[in-house]
Amino acid sequence: MATEMSKPTRRLLIAVNYLCVVLLLVLYAVGKYLGWSLPVAIALTAVVVILLISFVLAHIKTRLWRLAHTKAENLDERQIQVTHESLRYSYGIFTVISLAILLIIAVMSGGDDSMLILIFASLLYLAHTLPSSIIAWTEREV
Amino acid sequence: MKLRKIYNRISVLRQERDVSRKDLAEAIGVNFQTVGYLEREEYNPSLDLAFRISEFFKLPISMIFSTEPLKPLSQELLDQKKNEEQ
Repeated sequence: MATEMSKPTRRLLIAVNYLCVVLLLVLYAVGKYLGWSLPVAIALTAVVVILLISFVLAHIKTRLWRLAHTKAENLDERQIQVTHESLRYSYGIFTVISLAILLIIAVMSGGDDSMLILIFASLLYLAHTLPSSIIAWTEREV
Repeated sequence: MKLRKIYNRISVLRQERDVSRKDLAEAIGVNFQTVGYLEREEYNPSLDLAFRISEFFKLPISMIFSTEPLKPLSQELLDQKKNEEQ
């Protein structure tokens, strides 16, 4: 059964979940570059456990994972509208984060890797033109 | 385009006919939570869904939905009767 959960609680769980992803990356980097120690390993394990618990509570128990991954034909019109909006935001956020990471890597390489900068520019162009390209490709009249 | 708020009488009609949200949802082919959204006027239905609701209650769409706040159905029928008499 779906769990009745208030919006603030859901938001808190999502925030905790993403915070755990960031902490996981930071702790892994600390372990890898500064050397593994018992406190780092314990902290990493704790973060993984909290990550899994918050994922189950925020996505699985609320059935939101299912809603976001169900085929449109099995959803009603309001659910389609909700998932469409969420995908729209997701596309934007994912693009910004991916490009920011790629830009940081390109800058950190000292601009020596011209291929990386070219890939960044191409992806930036693709991210901005893809929505209108799909409309151009599919619609009879615009 | 900013959507206008659509007012409706779904909650009153459903309670009047003793129909549960789940039964109404099944009859009109939506999730039962969507019925809640419709009743709270937090979601504007498509024309297709509005027709399905109107067919379920066997009432014209104009009796169920409006772009202006709706009076109680009894008041509206009384006003209609008065207008006919004049």
